[in-house]
Amino acid sequence: MSEFKNPFEGNDLNIPPQIKNLMGNIRMILIGIVAVVLLFSSVYTVEPEEVGVVQRFGEYVRTAESGLNFKIPFTERVKIVPVERQLKQEFGYRTVESGVQTRYTKAGYVDESLMLTGDLNLADVEWVVQYRITDPYNYLFKVRNPDKTLRDMSEAAMRQVVGNRTVNEVLTIGRASVAARVQEILQELNTEYETGIRIEQVVLQDINPPDPVKPSFNSVNEAQQQRETLINQARSEYNRVIPRARGEALQTIQQAEGYAINRTNTAQGEVAAFVDLHREYIRAPQVTKRRIYYETMQELLPKIGNKVITDQDGVNVLPLLQMQMEGALPVNQNSQNN
Amino acid sequence: MNNKLGLIIAGFVILLILLMNSFYSVDETEQIILTQFGAPIGDAVNEPGLKMKVPFIQKVNRFDKRFLEWDGDQNQVPTKDKKFIFVDSYARWQITDPLQFFRRLRDERGAQSRIDDILDGETRNAVASHDLVELVRTSNREPDMDAEIFDVIVDSLETIEVGRIAIQEIVLELANERASDLGIAILDFRFKRINYVEDVRQTVYDRMISERIKIADLFRSEGQGEASRIEGEKERELLEIQSAAFREAREIRGRGDADAASIYNEAYNSSATTRELYDFIKAMEAYGTAFDKQTTIFLSTDSEFFKYLKSID
Repeated sequence: MSEFKNPFEGNDLNIPPQIKNLMGNIRMILIGIVAVVLLFSSVYTVEPEEVGVVQRFGEYVRTAESGLNFKIPFTERVKIVPVERQLKQEFGYRTVESGVQTRYTKAGYVDESLMLTGDLNLADVEWVVQYRITDPYNYLFKVRNPDKTLRDMSEAAMRQVVGNRTVNEVLTIGRASVAARVQEILQELNTEYETGIRIEQVVLQDINPPDPVKPSFNSVNEAQQQRETLINQARSEYNRVIPRARGEALQTIQQAEGYAINRTNTAQGEVAAFVDLHREYIRAPQVTKRRIYYETMQELLPKIGNKVITDQDGVNVLPLLQMQMEGALPVNQNSQNN
Repeated sequence: MNNKLGLIIAGFVILLILLMNSFYSVDETEQIILTQFGAPIGDAVNEPGLKMKVPFIQKVNRFDKRFLEWDGDQNQVPTKDKKFIFVDSYARWQITDPLQFFRRLRDERGAQSRIDDILDGETRNAVASHDLVELVRTSNREPDMDAEIFDVIVDSLETIEVGRIAIQEIVLELANERASDLGIAILDFRFKRINYVEDVRQTVYDRMISERIKIADLFRSEGQGEASRIEGEKERELLEIQSAAFREAREIRGRGDADAASIYNEAYNSSATTRELYDFIKAMEAYGTAFDKQTTIFLSTDSEFFKYLKSID
């Protein structure tokens, strides 16, 4: 006890009675501290998505479920493993800040994502491995550094799968099959290594040609579009012309039919009239002929502009009749003008 | 009084230290070799838990019994077909015989450097004795060619004889042979990354670009070809439609004309009188249409029409 008082004795200070009191109770305080330490080292909490793996002198004894748990202080140790949490590893990029607008960085991870395809071209593949720890015992005690192991396995598996496909396959239709195959291989490896990890999903993010090659890949897409455009233009021209021509052809044919029907009907009509006339004609040929002749002349002569009637014998005055000379005048005028 | 208490405390402390030193714990992840003055004593201890030993004389040497990682350096190696590539590989290994391991390698650092030597060497040998494609491909799988791009190109993969997995197995086997007396087992060896060295990369890019240009040209020319074909088809069909219509129309018109002619002929040509009447009527009709206002006609009084102007007899 005297040791504790020594520093104060040297000085001429007035020690407050509270401190003196405290000094008197130092034994109690020490016991209290020991009790608190013991309590804190024997109680621990496990969150809902975790389990606690308890080791006594290094030996595994039990797995603690979530909630408040107890252990023997100083002889038992607890390692917390998040078994229900979905964990992920990113390849070729890293999430810098996740949120509504997640930011990514790709700088410095090109080596992770650049890989050889089966036809010895290069492709830039970015992917995510989502996994869960299903066996905390294996996870902790079978493999050292299981996360690093998973990283190495993922890279090897992805390269193995991509290496067995052509660059065109990887960039176009191969996506789903690549992801499925990688997941399969990874799961096999994890089972073999007993990492206690289950692969939930392998998700391929971007698969791109390497940057220097990108423009030429885009130009292929463009050319593909151009091909479609050219073909579509030709098709639309075809569609513009051909159905119309078909309609026009039908029109021509219909017109011809009309013409033919018109012709036969006309003929039949005319013939019917002729037959009737002929019947009468046979009965009185002279009269009929004359009647027609006079009727024709009657109709015809008024239409003729200039009529000169001559007498063969010259006995009568010439011209005997000059009907409507005006009708002939335009002819004379024309000839004068010329 | 004070002296006696001091002695008791000292004795207690010594006893505690002795006790502490005669127990040791073995973790789930560990295996232990006890050594006495540097020489190993007894078998390895694999069981986890609290164990006893002779204090101070025996020393605990702890070794990991988990799968341990080995990550190779990036090696620049030429392949058999003289392509310069980087090879980055990894392996997992385990201390299987801690006693032997302790004798040969002492600790993990020593082990890592031995494994470096063994695996780097075997990798180099394996890479140098195979073509690049053998290291990249796994099997002679046929490429899947369902996408639109395969309309114009045919992808082919070179045939391989060994393949990536088999080469990895060769390396693993040879490495294990060389490591057989080290008390370790190499469990898995894999190529993690294989890539072209920087200056080869550019030529690969150039090749890829030229391949793409070729594909783009093919697409364009295919488009033009297809468009021309459709254009030709259009023209042919147009001519076909038009000429067929023309032919049919002419045939129909001809038939109409022929039918009309036969109807006329039958009526007009049936007897001498029909012929005479026809002749007359047609002449009259022709007169009716042949003259107009510009016509000047000289008519003689001798004509049929005027004969009554002269005399009615």
